[in-house]
Amino acid sequence: MSSWKVLLSDYGIIFILMGLIIFFSVLTIEKQNIIGAAAGIFLAKEVTQSGKQGKILLVTSESLDDQDLIEAFKANLGSQYQIIVVDKGPPATRNQIERDIESGDVPKMIVTSTKVSRWLLFQDFSNHFPELSVVSMINPQSSKGSNFLKRENLLNVADQIAVIAIMAIGMTMVIITGGIDLSVGSLVAFSAVLITKLIQGYFGAEAATEFEMVLAGLIAVVMCGLIGLLSGLLSTYFRIPPFIVTLSMMLIASGLAYTISEGQSIYHVPDNFVWLGRGRIGGIPVSVIIMIILYVIANILMTKMVFGRYVYAIGGNKVAARLSGIPINKIVTIVFTISGLLAGVGGIILASQLNSGSPTYGLAYELSVIAAVVIGGTSLMGGEGKIWGTLIGAFIIGVIQNGMNLIGIESYTQKVILGILILIALIVEKARKRS
Amino acid sequence: MSSRMSMKSLANIALFGILMIVWGCSENQLKTSKGTIGITVMSLSNPYFKELAEAAQEEALKFGFEVIIASGDFDPSKQRNQISDFITKDVDAIILTPVDSKSSGVSVRKCNEMGIPVFTADLATSDSLANVVAHIATDNYMGGRQAGDAMIEAVRSRNKKIMILDFPPAESCVKRIAGFRDRIGEYNLANPLDQFNIVTQLPCDGQRDVAFKATSDVIQAHPDLVGIFAINDPGALGAVGALEKVNRLDDITIIGFDGQNEGKVAIRDGKIYADPIQFPKRIGRQTVQTIMKYLNGNEVEKTQLIETALYRQEDGLNDPDIKDFH
Repeated sequence: MSSWKVLLSDYGIIFILMGLIIFFSVLTIEKQNIIGAAAGIFLAKEVTQSGKQGKILLVTSESLDDQDLIEAFKANLGSQYQIIVVDKGPPATRNQIERDIESGDVPKMIVTSTKVSRWLLFQDFSNHFPELSVVSMINPQSSKGSNFLKRENLLNVADQIAVIAIMAIGMTMVIITGGIDLSVGSLVAFSAVLITKLIQGYFGAEAATEFEMVLAGLIAVVMCGLIGLLSGLLSTYFRIPPFIVTLSMMLIASGLAYTISEGQSIYHVPDNFVWLGRGRIGGIPVSVIIMIILYVIANILMTKMVFGRYVYAIGGNKVAARLSGIPINKIVTIVFTISGLLAGVGGIILASQLNSGSPTYGLAYELSVIAAVVIGGTSLMGGEGKIWGTLIGAFIIGVIQNGMNLIGIESYTQKVILGILILIALIVEKARKRS
Repeated sequence: MSSRMSMKSLANIALFGILMIVWGCSENQLKTSKGTIGITVMSLSNPYFKELAEAAQEEALKFGFEVIIASGDFDPSKQRNQISDFITKDVDAIILTPVDSKSSGVSVRKCNEMGIPVFTADLATSDSLANVVAHIATDNYMGGRQAGDAMIEAVRSRNKKIMILDFPPAESCVKRIAGFRDRIGEYNLANPLDQFNIVTQLPCDGQRDVAFKATSDVIQAHPDLVGIFAINDPGALGAVGALEKVNRLDDITIIGFDGQNEGKVAIRDGKIYADPIQFPKRIGRQTVQTIMKYLNGNEVEKTQLIETALYRQEDGLNDPDIKDFH
């Protein structure tokens, strides 16, 4: 076989992902605003070129981008201009202009960010202020670009899929051994409720220190790991099918989450609790960094270590695995424990992203997780599958959901399309394997 | 080999077809609109929120605005993603009916950072750091008191054992129950010899099946129950079902909340005694009007409460808007 065929057969699924990315990139091409400092510099240049002098009213929103715009605008404009900044929303802007009209000291120019220029106040400016029709309005031009391909949106997709993708690592291992873990969605709720409850009830709520939050997180993750361990022990040493064991665990974990939280959201947590879910390191969301680190570790574990070989062997042929002396029960139990631990990690990230814990979190997540694993090329029969394939599978789901939201497809239609696309991905995958 | 190839190409053709459908569904909007409003509600499967969202859409169209409607489907994380997608689309305003009062604050803060004004409709965000321009909602506390009035009016027996079906995660439902309990408490103070006894308060999640089970169980534990207050219509209808099953509907008074069509039908037919009804369409319209006022640079009121009205059987009999489905 030529090398591209090997590549295709190993990672055929990646082409589906790329196809989807191209598709949504083209469909979401829209006018893009120049924002931030670049907009500020552009506006300053426009003002200078206009040759006008005197009072300038600079109107922006309170957004961080617009704060950069204000700074850049001021820095790039000579001192002969008197700049008045309004960044407190349309009513404040109107007040300012009306006050100026009353005092007779009207601005020579009104400069705005693109977002602000779309306020009805400015769209219908001459109707609102007929007496000011001579004032010149300046706002940054916009260029064409793809909403989907915006850096912020791509990070957004990665961030949205991080929790599912992290859980899918454990699920991949479980499915490769020939098992299934239905409890992960409930474990997310259990973990989210546990960490927030510990912080609220035992670590001083809003006054909790970082150390205490980490401790609460560790306890939550370990508890989920223990539930996973229990699933593993029950399905190996007691020979109960994993489907039934984890179905029971799903009920137990969900019930515990509702009991601990008394059915309410728990939200008395310190402000910096959101760091894990919303924080960034070098511009990249922390949740995404955690996801990548976990994937790298899992990939090493599954491809370079004895443990990984055992996992594949058990799923491939249990009898042969037993005869060759692989400690099947021990390995399967470890795999379920890992799945539980990772669901716990997913739960604390979700709690942090949403700044609270609630027993309703993680609803039906096990289905998305299984879908990601299967799209990624792991066989439900066990024995084969790739960790990286799962990550791509998770991204396919994330890209489809995000793309459909961006082009404004109704939620219910989205479900149908997502279901069909998953089926098609699987058909393509099957056809590829046979040829 | 050829059959395999055809299977593969068939799949590829199907994929292409689906993508074309997706493309067809995406709005090929002419860029004449004055702006875009993103709406995400708790769930479109509840007719109440569907009416709210559609009334808002209608109203926005009048002003030349486009609307994107999303359904949070009771999943806080899903709703969070919808809001971040609104931000990517750079909408001009967001109408939010939070799935979860507490966790939605994170998304609202993100909108604040991006300079997109947020308006909450029906349900509020309870995060002191999240800045919402205006909140337009039913006066749930007063509505709860009206439900109490109806209960007092309907239950005349000496025995006054009643139960509440609640939904603690929703702030609005918590307020309804506070209003109800306050009104009942006042009655009990004024009539010490003829007091109501709230025997239990159970979660029904605002959903019919959960309310059905909870009610079935409670009438086993308290066979002499005379009244049920459910925080919304699906909850009340679940209770109706449970009582019909054991033939107890005639001697137990049910008070609902909302005034959805199905609830109104049940009131007309005498199955539910009364509802403090809300006006979701009015909430939707007033929210859009508030947005327009704001974008035009006018001051808007931070909290706008819309009163409920008690809806009894005679209102149902004279209501031309009730739709029968059978």
